[in-house]
Parts: sequence; structure tokens; C-alpha cells
Amino acid sequence: MSGEEKIESALREFLERKRINRRDFLKGCGILAMVLGLSQVDGAAKVALALATKPRPPVIWLSLQDCTGCTESLTRSQSPQLLNLILSDLSLDYHETLQAAAGAGAEESRLATMRDYAGKYVLVVEGSPTPQDGGVYCALGGRSNIDVLKETAASAAAVVAVGNCACFGGIPGARQSPSGGVGVRDILGSGVVHIAGCPPIAEAITATFAHLLVFDRLPELDGLGRPLETYRNTIHDRCVRRTFYDSGQYAKNFDDQGAKQGYCLYLLGCKGPTTYNACPTLRWNGGVSYPIQSGHPCLGCSEPHFWDGGGFYAGQSAPLASPSGVITAVAIAAGAALGAGAILTGRAKNHTTSSHAAPPTSDPPNPEEKTP
Amino acid sequence: MNDVLAFARGPLFYGCLIFFLVAMAFRLFRVLALRWQVDRAKPKGNAAEGAVVSFLKALLIFPFFPGLKGLSQRSALVFFAGGIFHLSLFLVIFFTAAHTLVWQSLLGFRWDPIPTPIIDGFTAATILALIVLAINRATNPVLRLLSGPSSYLNLLFVLIPFLTGFIMYHRLIQPYIAVYAIHMLAVDWLLVWIPLSRIAHFMFYFFSRPAHGAEFARRNAVP
Repeated sequence: MSGEEKIESALREFLERKRINRRDFLKGCGILAMVLGLSQVDGAAKVALALATKPRPPVIWLSLQDCTGCTESLTRSQSPQLLNLILSDLSLDYHETLQAAAGAGAEESRLATMRDYAGKYVLVVEGSPTPQDGGVYCALGGRSNIDVLKETAASAAAVVAVGNCACFGGIPGARQSPSGGVGVRDILGSGVVHIAGCPPIAEAITATFAHLLVFDRLPELDGLGRPLETYRNTIHDRCVRRTFYDSGQYAKNFDDQGAKQGYCLYLLGCKGPTTYNACPTLRWNGGVSYPIQSGHPCLGCSEPHFWDGGGFYAGQSAPLASPSGVITAVAIAAGAALGAGAILTGRAKNHTTSSHAAPPTSDPPNPEEKTP
Repeated sequence: MNDVLAFARGPLFYGCLIFFLVAMAFRLFRVLALRWQVDRAKPKGNAAEGAVVSFLKALLIFPFFPGLKGLSQRSALVFFAGGIFHLSLFLVIFFTAAHTLVWQSLLGFRWDPIPTPIIDGFTAATILALIVLAINRATNPVLRLLSGPSSYLNLLFVLIPFLTGFIMYHRLIQPYIAVYAIHMLAVDWLLVWIPLSRIAHFMFYFFSRPAHGAEFARRNAVP
């Protein structure tokens, strides 16, 4: 049997075992190849081969301070099928939302995976860890989230932070949040892959696992730990409304003529120019649309601290802090007082000095003045 | 870089703006407190009218009619490069889409921006005009004598925000956020530099023109 025949046979056997339509399978491989930046033909074949022949990494999915939106993004998208292929029927050995086990059984499942697959499993973290007050704000099985996170990460092959909370602290890390969420890197150090977004695009999660499976290594990351495959460009770079920005045609209100014409949403607060994500290319709901296409400005959800990055509708260029009317008036009044005071004090000083410097000896004596 | 940008757009901008307001008010009121001499002569004309006429002429007539008063003949290059620079500066600061959002954030309201490609042209014109003015300053023997390091620094500190803004719009250098951060740091620095330098003339101009106009008009001279 030649090499090609062996691959063909392995693929057939895999598809039969998984009961997957060949057309759907190749389509999925094509999508993954595209996200991974591979050529559509060779890349799809490479992905298909890896999927058919390589063993899947077991996954421990920790949920810390989160809303489960990232899991929702994944499970309600069209990609669970793709992810199934990569993770072998979502071989999530520990996922609080998806697993059947509960309580002590669930914790035992996590420990068993850590023991049996030490150095081989992938740790996915959803939600932000919180070291505040000894980590009491988030506990798993009665233990501090920081303890569990460190323990689970110790023997993981790779750590992937999914969602803005896990990557950069997200809402629990926003200003005035009592629980003080931080990013996973703040606890475990660099080396953590960030799949940023609130939530991230399902394909961005899938593609990272696919990369691990196809190339046996983590993808190349940008300065913020995000895979360059999906976070290389800004939303603005590939935006469907970009031509309107370039020609200076803006919607000035959500229901004006410009909005109806699909003009650029920059003046309505769009953060597209400073947000790195693949929304305009991968899009959501199976490639149907993405926020800007649907008429809403980008919130910049894949960037650190986007909750504190000014108002969602305040504009990407607006200052994050500006003085109020009262403070402005006080500042001007203070400057005015100092300026005028400097001159008046100087004049008064000069006057005093000159009156001392010129003694009245030169004045003619007053004949009416009586001497004692 | 995100943190640098957030700092430059947030606390640093706030601090620099407060310094700008305090320092500009300080300079203005320092001059106003000097008092000008009371003219006891009987006025030959209307001072208020002179103030208004002088102000409007300086703002709307002289810059746009080069032939008047032989302004362009005396130094055509400075007249045109300076004129284009000041006009572009005004349009770019107040009518760029991104800047209208800044004004909205500061004042609570905004106005319509000028279409970006037009602003882009004015930005390019400003950059060129600044370079021409710098070369002229360095080569003209009289100007060279009058210029000190701060004269060139003025041009440089104004050039940087324009250059980075131009680069940002055309996305000539990546990452965008890094250029944006430099742009904001340059603007913050400019807010500190303006009150300490001759660029503060933009404020004094609006006071000195009416003051001169009023003085001229009292003597029945055309301002």
C-alpha cells in the first residue's frame, strides 16, 4: 500500500468511525486551513491528515470568574463539529458546564486526567483568576481558584486562556470591581496563549487547537499573546465599511440616513482601528455577519481593559479622562490669579522698594511742618 | 503599548490639559495685569469699532488677499507656507473626524467633520509647509540670526503630531496602536510646550489685534 493509499484508507476509516460526511469534513478542513494561513488545497489535505491520524490532546477546561459566554460561543456556533474533530468528540475531561460529573466526582475527574496525561493535556481557562483576599472570591471544590489554576497548569502541555476575562481580567478586572480579576498570565507568567474576545470567535478557539494538532506546536503569538493567525489585522483593516471611512462618509446617528446607507460607524464610537481580531473575515453565526456589518460599532472586546477604555459610544479617539467644567474653571481661575498676582505683587514690591530707596531728604522742607 | 496609549489618552492627557489651562491663563493675565497707559487725549475715532475691524481684517481679509499691503511681496514664501500651515492647522485640529470626537468629549457637543480625504490633503500640506518653513529659517541669514533652538523645536513639536496622524490614517507603520501612542504622547507634550513657548501667540494674537486696532482707531488711523 503506497503512502497516499494509506492516508486515503485512514481518512475513510476515520470518517466512517465518526459518521461524518466527506464533503462536510473537507469543508471544515478547508476552513481550518484558511484560518491557519495554509493554502486551501495543500493545507486542507494537511489538516485532514492530522485529524485522521493524530491522537487528540485531552482538555481540562477551568471556569473561573466568567459568564460562560465563551463556552456558549463555542457550543452554539457551527464549529462544535470542527472542534469535535480536533478534540475527539470534545474529549473534555473536565468542563464544569459540559461534564456529567459533579461535586467531588468532577474534581476527581480533573485529578485523574492530570495524573494519566501529565505533560500531554491542554489546560483551557475561561474567566479571570482572582488572587484578591487570598482568592476567596472564586473557589473550586472548596479551594482557592489560584491554587487549582497553578496545580492544573503545572503539568499541562499548553495553557490557553479563552475570552477577555481569562486573557486580561475582563469585567471582573474592570475598575472598581471588588473581586479584582487578573489575566492568567499574571498568575502563570508568559507562555499562555490568549484567545481574546468577549466572547472569542469559535473558529479562533478551534484554529488554535488545530494548529497544535497539525504542527505539534503552539501558533506564533503577537505582543499580547494572541495567535497571529487570527489577530494579525485590526477590524478596521478588513472592515466591510472601510471604503466609507476612507471617503469620509460617516453615520452620525444610529437611525440617520448614513446609518441606513451602511456608512462608517467611527463617529458612533467604533473601536475598529485599534482592535485586533478576525471578525470581518471569520464573522459570526457561521460566517453570516459581525457587529459592524450588522450596524453596531466595534467595542474592542479583544483588547485589554476594553471595559475601562472609555465609553462604548464615546469614540476611539476621545480622551479617557478629561476635566469637568468646574475643574476647568478652577484651573483657569488659578492661572489667572497667579498671573495677575505675580505682576501686582511685583509692582507693590517695587513701589515699597522705591519709596525706601528715595529718602525724603531731596524733598523741600515743608514750612508748615512743626518741629517738636 | 496598550498601557502606554491608555496612559497617554487618560491621566497624562488630563494632567497636561490642566497644566495648559493654568499656564495659558497665567501668561494671559500676567500681560493683562500690566495695564496699558491711559490715553487722556480726546479720541478722534471709535476705539471699539477699530478693535472689531482690526480683528476681522486680520482674520478674514489679510490672509486671503496676498496683494493687500504687499504682504506677499515682502516674503512670498513665508506668507504662503505660513498661511497654508495656519489654515491647515485650524482645519485639521477642529474638523478631522477623530478630533471632533475629542471636542465632543471635552465640550459635550460636536460638529460635522470635513471629509477625511480633504483633511488628509491639508495634513500633507501642513507637513510640507512646516518643512519649507524650517528650511527657510535655517537658510535665511536674517532669520538664522533671530532663531534659537526653541524656534526649531517649535516646528518639530508641531510636526510630530501631524506626521503620526498622517501615518495613522494611511496605516503606513504597524502596529497602529504604537503610532497612536506616539501621536498622543506628542500631543500631551505639545500641551505642556505651548504655554512655555512662542506658540502661545495663538492666544495673544486674538487680544493684541483688537488692542492695536482700538489704539489706532482712537487716533483715527486705519488699523
